[in-house]
Amino acid sequence: MGFFSPWFFAALAGVALPLYLHLLKRQTRTPKQVSSLMFFESRTQSSTRHRRLHYLLLLSLRLLLLLLLIFAFANPFINRNSATLASGRLVLLVIDNSFSMRAGNRLEDAKAAAIRVLGSKGAARAQVAAFGSQLRYVTQPIEDQAALRAAVQSIEPSDGHGNFGELARAIRALAETVHTPIELHLFSDMQRSELAGNFTDMALPNNVKLTAHAVTTKPEPNWTVESVDAPGQVWGKDAKPVRVQAVIAGYNTPAAQRTASLVVNGKTTATKAVQIPANGKATVDFPALEVPYGFSRCEIKIDDADGFPADDLRRFAVQRSDPQKALLIHNYGDNRSPLYIGAALSAAAQSAFVLESINVNEAADRQPSNYAFIILSDVNSVPSLLENSLTGYIRSGGSLFIAAGTSAGARTQIPIFGSRIIETRDYSRIPDRFMSVGSADSSYPAVAKAEGWPGVKFFYALNVDPGDARVIARLADQTPLLLEKRIGEGRVVLLTSGLDNLTNDFPLHPAFVPFIEQTARYLAGSDRQGGAQAVDAYLELRNAREQGQAVEVTDPEGKRPLTLGEAASAQSFQLTEAGYYQLRLANGRQNMIGVNADPKESNLDVIPDDVLALWQGNGGQSSQEAAAPGSTAPRKTPESFWWYVMLLVLASAMAESVLASRYLGTQREET
Amino acid sequence: MEQRFLSPAVLASISGLELIAKTVVDGFVAGLHRSPDFGFSQEFAEYQMYNPGDDLRHVDWNVYARSERLYLKRFRGETNSMLTILLDASNSMQFGSHQVNKMDYARYLAASLFYLAIHGQRDAAGLITFDDEIRNYIRPSTRQGQLHRLLAGLEQAEARARTDFSKPMRYFQEFLKRRGMVLIVSDFWESPDSVVRTIEPLRYHGNEVVLFHVLDPEDVKPKLNGPQILVDLETQSQLEVTPDYSKKEYREKIEAHLADLRDRVQAAGMGYYLLMTDRPLDAALREYLSLRGGRK
Repeated sequence: MGFFSPWFFAALAGVALPLYLHLLKRQTRTPKQVSSLMFFESRTQSSTRHRRLHYLLLLSLRLLLLLLLIFAFANPFINRNSATLASGRLVLLVIDNSFSMRAGNRLEDAKAAAIRVLGSKGAARAQVAAFGSQLRYVTQPIEDQAALRAAVQSIEPSDGHGNFGELARAIRALAETVHTPIELHLFSDMQRSELAGNFTDMALPNNVKLTAHAVTTKPEPNWTVESVDAPGQVWGKDAKPVRVQAVIAGYNTPAAQRTASLVVNGKTTATKAVQIPANGKATVDFPALEVPYGFSRCEIKIDDADGFPADDLRRFAVQRSDPQKALLIHNYGDNRSPLYIGAALSAAAQSAFVLESINVNEAADRQPSNYAFIILSDVNSVPSLLENSLTGYIRSGGSLFIAAGTSAGARTQIPIFGSRIIETRDYSRIPDRFMSVGSADSSYPAVAKAEGWPGVKFFYALNVDPGDARVIARLADQTPLLLEKRIGEGRVVLLTSGLDNLTNDFPLHPAFVPFIEQTARYLAGSDRQGGAQAVDAYLELRNAREQGQAVEVTDPEGKRPLTLGEAASAQSFQLTEAGYYQLRLANGRQNMIGVNADPKESNLDVIPDDVLALWQGNGGQSSQEAAAPGSTAPRKTPESFWWYVMLLVLASAMAESVLASRYLGTQREET
Repeated sequence: MEQRFLSPAVLASISGLELIAKTVVDGFVAGLHRSPDFGFSQEFAEYQMYNPGDDLRHVDWNVYARSERLYLKRFRGETNSMLTILLDASNSMQFGSHQVNKMDYARYLAASLFYLAIHGQRDAAGLITFDDEIRNYIRPSTRQGQLHRLLAGLEQAEARARTDFSKPMRYFQEFLKRRGMVLIVSDFWESPDSVVRTIEPLRYHGNEVVLFHVLDPEDVKPKLNGPQILVDLETQSQLEVTPDYSKKEYREKIEAHLADLRDRVQAAGMGYYLLMTDRPLDAALREYLSLRGGRK
């Protein structure tokens, strides 16, 4: 017997406490007043003797309680011969059902091997689990061979990407609860891509013995559509042609010519031959993707020429919808802002927005709610009617972009945004004659896509008091340049410089186009997630403000995987199958996503034998040990029994409570 | 209908003895059937020949007009003409295991009896407070304001010193020359023999003597959490006592003492009534008056 944590015995000093309380501490007695001692008699001697007798019993229990507690914390163990424990071992059969197991007859071979192992183990206690992206137990530890066989047969291939590091983590968690030896049989194609990044992540506990059953030993040639680059959304009837680009990859393949097809809603719309080098990749372009209004299920497909047809296509979804309207309100005579903003929107956003430019005098009769967002450019004096109308539009969820421009310097406050103007900064008067961006919040989409606006020169800006607004970018002299503020349900973005090329050279700079594009998408709330995702990816269903509104998810089989409770509260959803998912998000927007298996599953390279032997923890000795089991000394396995000691602690604590309440509790009046 | 009585704790929350007395007396008088001895009544009892010195207010002038003889008209309820309460104000009366100690309870009792006698029967009432000597004496009277004087006397009665019946007893004799009713309120921490021997002479003048024995519940059943040192409130002497003793032998002794006292007092022709301070006062008074009425 030994102790895993013997230093806890230092707590034995605490045993002195009950000894002190029971034997050394003097009894403190508070005198009690009575009307008369006429009928009382002294009984000192007998009472003291009586109390000590009871206290010794209580003392013994308390000492026992403390000693047992210390003993339990020291974590005692006994060494048990592994051979004596073998009868209580758990045979864990793990069948890899990751996406690559769809190749050829791999999964069927794995199941057959598992049933053979089950047959050879006789009446051992066994458990069956499937391992895709996560370990999923199919049965409890049972001895019923028929149930175990049925469980093995019931395992279906999944679309997940396996990772042996995740398998090892799950086995480590299991080993903490199962104290008997675990005989782990892994039936897998032993893909190299399933190895964990760090080999130590795959370490297994001492009481787990891994036996790997590889269903294939040599890598098989495989071609696959590795990736597709296509837009998630197409705007308008007369949108510019949309280009789709796909990468076709070959693993362990000779140079070959393959045929790639673009399929839209089940119809092949284009076909191209592509020459793929040996064990290499090639790109194929489809210059014009024609999709009807609404969502279209698209895929790039290659002809079937290997034993793994499941990875010969890659899905993506494309939505065609009408462009949204945006309104630009500018000063009378300002022709530059409409020019630059209109050009940037049409160049970048694939005609997602139709910009309508008006001067401030014409703005009064426009209904703001008809526009996805509004830009207010360099407005000296916004009429109060317009200001009230825009404020109401924002409060009810609208978006506004304000470019302060030069004329706002005459005011004391930015209209609608509300920030106080401290001063104007005219950098054309300083020696360098301009100021560049000093710091920018790269998490903000408009800034991130524009890569922080390097080299943009600002000649003029307003120094405003940010107040409760979020400052996204500052100039080198810490003047706030880009700010965002939430007003009611809507948001307002303020650029303290202008959108013309007078106050800065931003419109002439390449960063201007992505800035306008991302800002427009952000303000219009149309930053749709891409039309393709990988299996096991998480999809955001709602943001923090959209609690309580139901979402709807329809999986590739047409089922709704979310319960009613989850539909009303789930923040995200894990995509577990390949295929097309249809979604209705909390904000009411519809979406469709093409989900594909992880491309790493297409690489069918197998783990080298030496690595596999190393993982099994015996470097090739296992076969020798198996051949001559009696030739080595029996292995001792330490088995902790702190749990049983804790049960004794509980029992003695209950006995102590009963005894203490009986002896020391308040004397109850006898009726 | 079930009568609801006022717990001593409720009485303790009422400020002013007069209000307490009124609450107690009105409460149980309202629920009591007419008593032949207590309770104000205009029911005619007898005519008595007028003697010089009698109060002219009680002369029946109608009879005089018809017969030219002076008769006094007597009513029921005027049979006890003088009530004197002897209140023990020794230290042991301070003891209380709950909100109301024995002294407070005795005050409430005395106040209620005074209220009943003066307001209910128009009797003369007086008060003597004593411990080891006479502390206060308020002469029995029917004068206006007598009730307030008595209640003030009760308010001023503070528990101090120790009980000694023998010493002040000779003074009692001087004060109680007129025939009437004498109520002694005390916890009687004396031997029954001594108590009876000391109090018995009061009967010789034709007084009706009743002992109200006021005790706290813990006087009878003391609660001890383990062995404890007990301090006598009157003598300040100390004694260590065990719970076992207090639960068995003490109870036997106190019960024997109470029985002995009751028997000896009653044998001596005096009334005895035990009052526990956790009992509603109005219920106790009601019971006492019913018993007394029945006895007569």
